[in-house]
Amino acid sequence: MVSDADYQAAVEFLYREARFADEARYAEWHALWTDDGVYWVPATTDPGASPDQHISHIYDNRARLDTRVKLLQTGHRYSQEPASPMRRLISNIEVARSEDGELVVESNFILAELSIQARHEMHWWVGHTTHRLRRVEGQLRMSHKKVVLINAAEPLPNLAFLI
Amino acid sequence: MSETAPSTIDYTSLVQSDRIHASLYRDPRVFDDEMERIFHRGWVFVGHESEIPRPGDFVTRTLGRQPVILARTRDAGVGVLLNRCMHRGTMVCTAPHGHTRTFQCPYHGWTYDVGGELLGVSYPGGYASLDKRSRGLLHAPRVEAYRGFVFASLDAKGIPLAEHLGPATRLIDRSCDLSPEGEVELTARWVRHRCPANWKMLPENDSDGYHLGFVHLALFKTVGSAQYQRVVGDERSIKAVVRDWGRGHIEIDWSPGYERPFEWLGNASGAAVAEYVDQMERRDGPGAARRRLLEGPAHAFIFPNLFLGETNIAIVEPIDVAESVHWHTPMFLKGVPQFNGRLLRMAEAGMGPASFLMPEDLTVASRNQLGLEARGNEWIELTRGLERESIDAEGRAVSHVTDETTNRALWQHYLSVMTA
Repeated sequence: MVSDADYQAAVEFLYREARFADEARYAEWHALWTDDGVYWVPATTDPGASPDQHISHIYDNRARLDTRVKLLQTGHRYSQEPASPMRRLISNIEVARSEDGELVVESNFILAELSIQARHEMHWWVGHTTHRLRRVEGQLRMSHKKVVLINAAEPLPNLAFLI
Repeated sequence: MSETAPSTIDYTSLVQSDRIHASLYRDPRVFDDEMERIFHRGWVFVGHESEIPRPGDFVTRTLGRQPVILARTRDAGVGVLLNRCMHRGTMVCTAPHGHTRTFQCPYHGWTYDVGGELLGVSYPGGYASLDKRSRGLLHAPRVEAYRGFVFASLDAKGIPLAEHLGPATRLIDRSCDLSPEGEVELTARWVRHRCPANWKMLPENDSDGYHLGFVHLALFKTVGSAQYQRVVGDERSIKAVVRDWGRGHIEIDWSPGYERPFEWLGNASGAAVAEYVDQMERRDGPGAARRRLLEGPAHAFIFPNLFLGETNIAIVEPIDVAESVHWHTPMFLKGVPQFNGRLLRMAEAGMGPASFLMPEDLTVASRNQLGLEARGNEWIELTRGLERESIDAEGRAVSHVTDETTNRALWQHYLSVMTA
């Protein structure tokens, strides 16, 4: 169990991160990461899958995460130019504390994305997220974000926005 | 096999030597003809032997429109089974991959072994005589492999695989020979990327050296390395070439622009690389090993659906006239597992829905599909490089990497298949 204050801080962090991602506020989203951050979107729902053996949609260390954000900021990432209008709802939030003191936050999400770069189709993205949050200089930062889509192993359309 | 009569479309008028007609990407009747003539008659890549190492291993795939199971049988052979119960037609296996002793139909319980043999039916008393041997899952009539790459044809007649591949086996060799043991392993599973465009745009784009500096401008602006400059720099300074290997097999060869080994492996260095170089030199000798490690793997499309994407292997899956799926997996090199992590990360960077390259390609492909609905000019020109391409000593057309030599080669083979 965690304190009400920790729970509330975790919830607020998730909402803030979602807002930055949904509104294509790339620099602000980028600033939420720790220097050792890992951003992982597996290509399977198998909980035993390993990023060292199996291909993922995203397995970014901090350097690749920086590249991902810079690409979006060039204005030439045509799969997100213009950025997809989108909104996500986050729910079923559960917070625990790990042995190393980080907050481990589990949540579900539903994200509606209007893919306006070509066909103007609505895409629905649904899944489970695990965040690990750490205090750095008094501010919560994410050191790990794992997003398991329910259709992770199915053919997916472009996923060039921040999920 | 088709429920529709063959169309009477005159492909000779639609595919000309220097232009093609837009309806080839747009007309559902063309798509029907392609499924029948290209994917249900010819050789089609199904999967790799390393995906199913043990008896009982299987993966499910599609050949044109037909669901199949690629399975390792009890005698360690490789079979391509039609994924359809012989009783009422139910798909017997829906998992993308797995390991099993039997395929049991969920409808009435008919049970087949992993090689397709009918083991038994429920309540057999209802059949006066049932010849189990004739009720096994149907096999693709022809299955052949080259260096672990398994191809199948759903037509009992036709040319052997060796004739279909022709000299393009050397492209497969180029990739496999980078393994000290001469084998690649596709064991990382696949990512599948939905492409809202006709399937033929995928091989055309995979072998297009003209678009890189435009479609992928974001990446070149972000990662300003010299390697990329050699791809998108001044036209005369670009040394890479495109090449036509015949029968629709087409290549981009980056290696004339490479200056040192391992540019294809992101300029890998360190102890793991030194050990690898040792292994390669012991096998090939220092000169040949150095050349191989400089040239790197093939960047080539094997007609109609296999893409040797340098350190990735990709599959082009047609879904409908305006819908396809691009599959990819990293190409692991047997004997150097220390590179697997790097190859995984390279695969994620290059291909797939969240990668740094492919989302742009498929956005443009989708816009192509939309734009081709505009009538007025129904023709797509393929003239780029016609005046400067040449024929090399082996009879292959070769030209500047930005030229449409590859498109012309693909379409001329397409025409020969569609009018056969």
